[in-house]
Amino acid sequence: MYRTAAKRVLLLRVPSGSKSNARLLLPPILQSFAANSSPLSTTSVNPNQRSQNPSFSDPVSSSTSSSSSSSTADEARRQHSRRPTAEYEDEQARVLHATLPHVVRLGWTEAAMISGARAVGVSPSIIGSFPRKEAALVEFFMDECLQRLIDRIELGEDLKGKIPSERISELVRFRLEMQAPYISKWPQALSIQAQPMNVPTSFKQRAMLVDEIWHAVGDEASDIDWYVKRTVLGGIYSTTEIYMLTDSSPDFRDTWSFLDGRVKDAFDLKKTIQEAKYLAETVGAGMGSSLQGFVKRVFPG
Amino acid sequence: MALRMVTGKFRSKLLPMFSSSLLHSHATSFGFKEVHEEEKSRMVSNVFSNVASNYDLMNDLMSAGLHRLWKDRLVSKLNPFPGMKHLDVAGGTGDVAFRILETINSVKHRAMQDVLEDNLYEETRIFVCDINPNMLNVGKKRALERGSGEEKSLIWVEGDAEALTFEDNSMDGYTIAFGIRNVTHIEKVLAEAFRVLKRGGRFLCLELSHVEVPIFKEFYDYYSFSIIPALGELVAGDRDSYQYLVESIRRFPPQETFASMIADAGFQKVEYENLVGGVVSIHSGLKL
Repeated sequence: MYRTAAKRVLLLRVPSGSKSNARLLLPPILQSFAANSSPLSTTSVNPNQRSQNPSFSDPVSSSTSSSSSSSTADEARRQHSRRPTAEYEDEQARVLHATLPHVVRLGWTEAAMISGARAVGVSPSIIGSFPRKEAALVEFFMDECLQRLIDRIELGEDLKGKIPSERISELVRFRLEMQAPYISKWPQALSIQAQPMNVPTSFKQRAMLVDEIWHAVGDEASDIDWYVKRTVLGGIYSTTEIYMLTDSSPDFRDTWSFLDGRVKDAFDLKKTIQEAKYLAETVGAGMGSSLQGFVKRVFPG
Repeated sequence: MALRMVTGKFRSKLLPMFSSSLLHSHATSFGFKEVHEEEKSRMVSNVFSNVASNYDLMNDLMSAGLHRLWKDRLVSKLNPFPGMKHLDVAGGTGDVAFRILETINSVKHRAMQDVLEDNLYEETRIFVCDINPNMLNVGKKRALERGSGEEKSLIWVEGDAEALTFEDNSMDGYTIAFGIRNVTHIEKVLAEAFRVLKRGGRFLCLELSHVEVPIFKEFYDYYSFSIIPALGELVAGDRDSYQYLVESIRRFPPQETFASMIADAGFQKVEYENLVGGVVSIHSGLKL
C-alpha cells in the first residue's frame, strides 16, 4: 500500500488536505495487514530490531534509524505513531507519481514506470521492489483520485443545495472525469484490477469510494439499507465506468446522461419498492377485512 | 589432498593463537575449522579452482536441477530492464548473467524497448565479477558456446567482492548467488554493494541457508553431510571441497541475522524469501 506515502506527496500539494487525512487513515490493524500483505512467503526483517527502537518520539533514534533500522522497524513505528512512513515508501510514491504522465503514452506498464523512475532520477531497479508492479501503479492512481474526491467534497459548498440524486451523479461524474485523460488505457487498468491477486485491493478501493460518496450525500443508514445502497451505487459507478470506455461523444456527454438515467432509475426503484410496500399493506389490510367478513359469515355467532 | 594437509596444519598451528577469532566466528571460519583471516580467501580460492570444471554438473546433481529454478526466481525478483547496469558478483560461470541477459532480450522486453529510447538496449551492461579466474574461464567458454561470446553487454571482470573496482553509484542492480558464504568479511561485501549501487538500485543475494522445518531438517542434514561429500568424491574426485561446501552453509548466519546485517549496511526494505523450506533464501534490499 502506498496510500500513506501517497498522502504525504499529496499533502505537499494540497495543504487543505490535512483534515481529510485524519479521516482516511486506516485503523492500525489494517495498516499492518496492508504493510505485510506481500505475496508468497516473503518475510520482512526483523523482530529483534523492534525492541531496539522502542521510543518512537526520540529524535536520536529516528535520525539513526535511517541508516541502521530495517523496514519492519519502520513499519512497526508507523503502526504505533502513524507518523512517518518508511523512506522507501515515499520514494516509491514519488516514482509512481512521476509515472502517471507517461501512462497516456505507455499504458499501465513497467515501461511507464521505468520512464517515471528516470524522471525522478532514481534507478528503474526500484520497480523490482514493488510486489505487484503495475497493480501498484493503478492502486496509487485510485488512491490519488479518491483523495481528490474527498477534497472536493469538503470544499464543495455547492453540493449542499442539491437533492441527493443530483449530488450522487455530480460526484460520480467528478470522479470519473479524473479517468478521462487515461480513457484509452483504462481498459488495461481495469484488467489489472481484475486479476485475482489484485482483486482484494481493488474491491476495497471501490468500496471506499462508494462509501465516501454516500457519506457526502449525508447517508446515515446502518441497517440492511447500508449494504443495499452501496451495492446499488457500486453498480451504477461500474456500469458508467464501462459505458465511458466506448463513449466517443464530445466531453463524454452520453456517459453523463447515461449516469443521470441510472441514478434516476435507482431512486425510482426505491420509490417503486416503497409504493409496492404500501400497496401490499393496503391489499393485505383489504384482504384481511374481507377474510374477516368471510369467516364471520361461515361461522356465525 | 593438499588442501586437507594445509587445513590440518593450520588448524593445529593457528587454533590456539586465534581463539579470539571466535568474536567474529563467521568471518574467519573455513567450514567448521577456524583459520587465519588471510588464509580463508586462499583456501576458498583453492576449493573453487578444484571444482570449477565440474561446477555446473555438481550443482545439477546436488540440487537435483533445482538451482536453475532458484536462479530463475532470483532474476525474476530482480526484474531486469533494458539499459540496465548490473553487477553479478561471484558469478564466474555466468549462470545468473545469462539469465538476466535472456530476460532483457525476451519478447516482452523487446516490445517494451520499442516505446523506450532506441539506444537503451545497446546500453545494457552486465558485469560478471569473480575472484577466481578459473571460474571466469568456465563462464567465458560457456558464453562462446551459447553464441554470446561477442556480446558487448557481458563484461568479465576478475575482482574481489570486498574491494570492488567499480565507481560509486554506478550500478542499477547487484546480485550475488551462492557466493557471499565464501567471503571473509560479509560486512565489507555488503558495504561495497551499497557503495556501487545507484539510488533506487537493488541488492539481491541468493544463498544456501538454514532449514528449520523439523523432519525435513534431519533429512537435509543427513543429505548434506553423508551424500554430498560422497557425491563430490565420486563425480568430481574431490571430497574435501564438498565437505567444505556443506560446512560453510552451516556457518553462514541464519536468515534473520543476515537480513539485519543487510539492513545495517544501509539497505531499506530488507526482505527475504525462503525457497524449499530454507535450503536457499533470497535476500533483497533497496538502496535509497
